[in-house]
Amino acid sequence: MSTVLEQIEQQIAKLTTQAVKKNTGSIRAVADGVAKIDGLSDVMYNEMVQFPGNVIGIALNLEEDEVGCVVLGDVSQLKEGDEVTTTGKLLSVPVGKALLGRAVDALGRPVDGKGPIDAKETYPVEKIAPGIVARKSVSQPLFTGIMAIDSMIPIGRGQRELIIGDRGTGKTTIAIDTIINQAKINKVGLASGNKDFRPVYSIYVAVGQKNSNIVRTIAALEAAGALEFTIIVAAPAADNPANQYLAPYSGAAMGEWFMENGLDALIVYDDLSKHAVAYRQISLILKRPSGREAYPGDVFYLHSRLLERSARLDGKGSLTALPIIETLAGDVSAYIPTNVISITDGQIFLETDLFNQGIRPAVSVGLSVSRVGSAAQIKATKQVGGKLKGELAQFRELAAFAQFGSDLDAKTKAQLERGARIVELFKQPAFNPIPIEVQVAVLFAMQKGFFDPVDVKKVVDAASSLKTFFTTRQDALLTEIRTKAALDKDLEAKLQAACESWKSSYSA
Amino acid sequence: MAAHSKSAQHLARQLFRLSFEQDALSAERVGGVLAWVEKHRPANPVIVLKAYRRLVEAEVARSRALVEHAGAVSEDILGAIGAALNRKYGRNIGLSAQANPALLAGLRVRVGDDVYESSVSGQLAALAASV
Repeated sequence: MSTVLEQIEQQIAKLTTQAVKKNTGSIRAVADGVAKIDGLSDVMYNEMVQFPGNVIGIALNLEEDEVGCVVLGDVSQLKEGDEVTTTGKLLSVPVGKALLGRAVDALGRPVDGKGPIDAKETYPVEKIAPGIVARKSVSQPLFTGIMAIDSMIPIGRGQRELIIGDRGTGKTTIAIDTIINQAKINKVGLASGNKDFRPVYSIYVAVGQKNSNIVRTIAALEAAGALEFTIIVAAPAADNPANQYLAPYSGAAMGEWFMENGLDALIVYDDLSKHAVAYRQISLILKRPSGREAYPGDVFYLHSRLLERSARLDGKGSLTALPIIETLAGDVSAYIPTNVISITDGQIFLETDLFNQGIRPAVSVGLSVSRVGSAAQIKATKQVGGKLKGELAQFRELAAFAQFGSDLDAKTKAQLERGARIVELFKQPAFNPIPIEVQVAVLFAMQKGFFDPVDVKKVVDAASSLKTFFTTRQDALLTEIRTKAALDKDLEAKLQAACESWKSSYSA
Repeated sequence: MAAHSKSAQHLARQLFRLSFEQDALSAERVGGVLAWVEKHRPANPVIVLKAYRRLVEAEVARSRALVEHAGAVSEDILGAIGAALNRKYGRNIGLSAQANPALLAGLRVRVGDDVYESSVSGQLAALAASV
């Protein structure tokens, strides 16, 4: 018996005396959120390093005799000579459904005062995007609830669609509307008990935003009941540039969890212009060579590796990305906008002039495009809105010429009248997404000329009345459109009858 | 200033590479480097020599092991540690022992950037960080 005890004692002794190897270095200089470190000879690129006081950093510059690290925390408590150790780990963030309804920082730590997050898993912040074999082409729709987008610039699950425009043109509003619409669809779908229903979870990444704006966004999502399906990753303007640089990657890691687990997710990067600026700041402090507009040479890779992580995986889920880019004076040919335009699968361009004319959302139909979304558009929308983009383009052309003279033939006049009505029809208030079946009904009424007798200025009122008519009195018809997702002769007849009924009751 | 510093660092690295003889730092060669600097007075000699000193210091630290211990350590244990380090690094590692009561119990061995932690205080610190 004593031999057995001795054996156990020996085993304990072995375990307790086992030495742990650490690779260390010391801070040579620390400034502007970046530390220069002597030593750390074993450190790997992008490895997490540990500073005193539980502050962590990431090794970004591995030079011959020093290591440049960005510090993710309070720099003020670090001083020259402090010991730094390698961790052998890549930076990871908590992932999973436990984060839904919560606001977290770039490292996944809660910032909403609702207590700790019980996340069971973590994912690395930096991850190689899925390869060609693992991917599947985009074919399932993701409805934004914005009629101009769903009918003319459709978005599919797994797509990357850029939202681009000057400041104050409603870029964030489109993203928030889309998140709210996903929550509305999720609620209806989950309540229906349909086993094939796939909810879409949302992640909103705020980079370099004002804290007040983030609070307003959270309040809007909460008011619409969408927060329970949403994760907010906040790296506000007051946060250090390292956190602003990391936040989109952290959000992508959270989205990837949904995708890898057979679920669908939507991620909004608001916005990547500020993300590029934060990265430029870090790069300049790290003394990396600067290029055009002082951005470092790898600024394209900064965004391409992020957006390539959005995909639709074969046999798994999808991650749809809505990156936002802010332009200056509508200049889409600037460095960062052209980079992101070339990476994404299309863009929704918002124009200041349209916004000021009261056309909201201020989507410029001519400059906006969706390269893969049409494959994901449902047949019903194609049937009623397939020709809309062409009609609107013709209208713009004719409207430009019509300014020079009043002698117009009847056909041109009719085209102008129709175009003006379509423009009015697409006006939509903020945070008020329209279900796809209602969009189909409204577009059907427009195609069949039900808005033709209505004065152009009263089209918005008429459309609103038609929407109310359908949602309150034609629920069964809307459900049929939603489930069939295509208009057959029977459905068309029912829609025609419903529109006739509305017309008889509507008085402009 | 930044350009001067860069060229001084570059020169220091060149001088450091010249200080080796058969893959080991040679005192004779270091002396030769210092004599060259004194004679030729390169631009920014202070920055050059400071950078050179840092590189030499790091190299010296790589061939020396500092064994910190809380209690008494026998010569046998030190010998075993020395032999194990020689084997691991494939070169002769000079050993020096130093008492450090802050470790509470156990040992800590430092060779250049590498630290082998087998002390109670180290384990407590790791535990505190993981909680």
